[in-house]
Amino acid sequence: MTQTVKAAKKSSSAKATASSEAKAKAPAQAKAKATPVAKAKAPAVTKAATEAKKPSSKKKQALAFPFTAIVGQEEMKLSLILNIIDPRIGGVLVMGHRGTGKSTTVRALAEVLPLITRVKDDIYNRTVEQYVEAESGKKGAAAINPDDVKTEQIPVPVVDLPLGATEDRVCGTIDIEKALTSGVKAFEPGLLAQSNRGFLYIDEVNLLDDHLVDVLLDVAASGKNVVEREGISIRHPARFVLVGSGNPEEGELRPQLLDRFGLHARIITINDVAKRVDIVKRRREYDEDPEAYMKKCTREQQKLQKKIVAAQELLTQVSMDDKVLTDIARLCMSLGIDGHRGELTITRTAYAFAAYKGQTTVTMEHVKEIAGLCLRHRLRKDPLETVDAGEKIDRELAKVLGEAEATA
Amino acid sequence: MIAFTDIVGMDLAKQALMLLAVDPSLGGVVIPSAVGSGKSTLARAFAGILPEETPFVELPLNVTEDRLIGGVDLEATLASGQRVVQHGVLSKAHKGVLYVDSLSLLDSSAVSHIMDAMSRGLVLVEREGLSEVHPANFMLVGTYDPSDGEVRMGLLDRIGIIVPFTAQNDYRARKKIVNIVMGTRDQEDTEDELRMLRGLIEAAKEQLLRVSMTNEQIKGLIQTAISLGVEGNRVDIFAIRAAIASAALAQRTEVDDEDLKLAVKLVLVPRATRMPEREATEEDMAQDQPPPEDEEPEGEDENAPPDEPDADAEEEQEETPDMIEELMMDSIETELPDNILNISLASKKKAKSGSRGEALNNRRGRFVRAQEGEMKSGKVALIPTLISAAPWQQSRRQDKKMAGRPAGALIINKEDVKIKKFRDKSGTLFIFMVDASGSMALNRMRQAKGAVASLLQNAYVHRDQVALISFRGKQAQVLLPPSQSVDRAKRELDVLPTGGGTPLASALFTGWETAKQARTKGISQIMFVMITDGRGNIPLQAAYEPNAEKAPKEELEKEIEALALSIQADGVASIVIDTQMNYLSRGEAPKLAQKLGGRYFYMPNAKAEQIVEAALS
Repeated sequence: MTQTVKAAKKSSSAKATASSEAKAKAPAQAKAKATPVAKAKAPAVTKAATEAKKPSSKKKQALAFPFTAIVGQEEMKLSLILNIIDPRIGGVLVMGHRGTGKSTTVRALAEVLPLITRVKDDIYNRTVEQYVEAESGKKGAAAINPDDVKTEQIPVPVVDLPLGATEDRVCGTIDIEKALTSGVKAFEPGLLAQSNRGFLYIDEVNLLDDHLVDVLLDVAASGKNVVEREGISIRHPARFVLVGSGNPEEGELRPQLLDRFGLHARIITINDVAKRVDIVKRRREYDEDPEAYMKKCTREQQKLQKKIVAAQELLTQVSMDDKVLTDIARLCMSLGIDGHRGELTITRTAYAFAAYKGQTTVTMEHVKEIAGLCLRHRLRKDPLETVDAGEKIDRELAKVLGEAEATA
Repeated sequence: MIAFTDIVGMDLAKQALMLLAVDPSLGGVVIPSAVGSGKSTLARAFAGILPEETPFVELPLNVTEDRLIGGVDLEATLASGQRVVQHGVLSKAHKGVLYVDSLSLLDSSAVSHIMDAMSRGLVLVEREGLSEVHPANFMLVGTYDPSDGEVRMGLLDRIGIIVPFTAQNDYRARKKIVNIVMGTRDQEDTEDELRMLRGLIEAAKEQLLRVSMTNEQIKGLIQTAISLGVEGNRVDIFAIRAAIASAALAQRTEVDDEDLKLAVKLVLVPRATRMPEREATEEDMAQDQPPPEDEEPEGEDENAPPDEPDADAEEEQEETPDMIEELMMDSIETELPDNILNISLASKKKAKSGSRGEALNNRRGRFVRAQEGEMKSGKVALIPTLISAAPWQQSRRQDKKMAGRPAGALIINKEDVKIKKFRDKSGTLFIFMVDASGSMALNRMRQAKGAVASLLQNAYVHRDQVALISFRGKQAQVLLPPSQSVDRAKRELDVLPTGGGTPLASALFTGWETAKQARTKGISQIMFVMITDGRGNIPLQAAYEPNAEKAPKEELEKEIEALALSIQADGVASIVIDTQMNYLSRGEAPKLAQKLGGRYFYMPNAKAEQIVEAALS
């Protein structure tokens, strides 16, 4: 468990934690790096890395419907936003009815994401600290002065993992073209590299092939991607917020994968006529002239982005009373949730939620709002259970709150 | 080739295709129809009314992933020394038509890729070292025979128009008409007509932007969708587009009632999950609302966006119900397929003896792709292995360790080896058949529900699937088609009528049909789990002939025996679970088990877990 905490912490964009963690981990990584990547081959690898940027930049996709113009589905939107504020929450699984805007919403996310700083042209999106640590650790490499490293600002990456992706493209592989033309072995990074410090999105996640699920589970647990092939040995950081969506009627999600997701948002068909008319109108307006519509939404989009950035900054100042923590633990216990991931997720999510609301103290009111998101998929499944998971959580929550009031 | 204009009948399907030609953003048209109804002829003729040089790509059912999505063109790559990319079928259909015959037989991974491409308008190629984005904005035209099985709902959700299923009884007569027409008609006439039709469609396309639709009309369509229990919100857009396309086709600038009716018929009704109630439309809707946070009945209006004045909203609300009633009753009552709740089940297949045609079943599924793996762990995929070894020959030959190898010999390392990956459907389909007749039925249903749910809990690991058939009254009914989804199972199992006669023969027959369908989709292991006392008293005929309810005991037994033996011979495993405390039992259930070649369990008050155990043992 502690390892997860530590691992998750590293992905945080909060600079303070990242740098101290990085220092602590440096020796271990240096050792790991001292694997057969021969000195002579290193330049080829880096060169391939910079060149491999091409496909990703080519992948500028068509305009996405603006996030702020999406009607309803607050649960999903909130889950995504909280994950931007604190990526350690561990991602979100969006499950629900067909045609309710699941993938539209996730794909719209990119436009409201804040910027991150990375080493210029670094395919792994590393911070200066991470870069210096990894590159200086290489055998025979000269020490790098952090001040000499050029940086750039990029939007938080959102990487779309299609169902038909093959393992070599997900993990990265040897550049075939180079091998063919010049006989040189060079590493070509995959989607995991691109998604470092960003979002990895899988639509129809419940239909993902088993072997890819294995890879994802492995990398998600370790935060590292390791590729060994043809005498090339690469390991690079791969910490991403995993976002999955799907329709439960198409198939179940593997339990281990389900457990990986911090939050579980449910989404249902909107049955309110006025709202649906509104959805249709917005969609039609967008379809008629996407660019004009985007422009119309710019202010709202920017407002949201600013709010998220402000929350990120506020997050370090948020605190929580021990009493609240006790209540959270009691809630998880009474729901019979195994392990500690439940408490941990609630705590982090509540922090992020409070920060999003511009508050610096987490209260049970915050917890109440997000408990369902954090716990819904962690309840032990009873085949004959007729009560909805959400209701069960609310019921236990009311009990815990009632007891808390009684003792107060 | 028969031209679009020469096809007689199938008017609704033709209308649907014309709407699609006018507005390709409708996504596609699905035409469910019986064998020989000419649906594929019509679909192919569709190409003739589209602008010239519109791509028309037919998707073969056995398509592999790399052909579908695209990948490296090996020949060209090796020849040129540069990576040459070959576009997949999905991208070849860009700005044109992707046609799939027998849509319901399409492999589920292929369906997923099509869904993915449709939702993006793009194909993301992330395979074999390639990372590319290919445009794939196509119209999907699919035809299928509902007796072959269902089309995945997720796919249907991305296709705007579903033509209501119609039985084609008169197809021979129509074929004759076609022949006569063909014989007497001039090729040039046909060409002229097609040209006119193309012109009409072009004009309608231009008209599209000029067509307007009132708020009431939009609301009416949405209300109708809600009353019909249509899932999701995407369908609203499709319904509106269909109505507008219909108006544009008639060169009107306003959507009228006929357009709305057509939209309801082609977009909404085929997705209905319940019958609308004539009087109770509003109450009905209120029930479907998530419980409002405040207890006020008018809560709905408060949710209206603030930019809409309240008075206006109320006024409209008064108007719309009338319109909806008119719309719905007109198009729903008169045009309703046999069973609106599921178009796929609309065709009730008559008993057909022993036609199997599933020779491929003994294979372990379809070859989908080559994947890295141990040589021992499967069949080696030769070509992909050579492909992955090819780039390394030059560098490997320079390696000292390889010295002494004869020049020209291929050097293949362990890591090059690719093995064939088949569509892994090696799980078992458990078909639960539950006797819902008589007084103890409730108990049996509860046990079965528990067993189904708990099997499904573990289904993912084993790739198992579960189906549930209940039998009572005149015939058996598939409550849950083969599924892995706990959610869906729960929903389908929640409403279970019980009581009445025991159509055991019909249950066996229905189960067998379900088994056969599953086999065409690559599931080879099938097990019947029958929860019954084995005393059937309704003949198979009763399902088709209302007056055939009574039959002599001997005939009933014969019928059941014949079915049971055929099922056994077909390689379906069975168990029979008798859960009833029955002092009057004459041993019918053990006999049934014997005829099916399966085991018999006597488990009064069995718990769900015990049933699962028995099924898995």
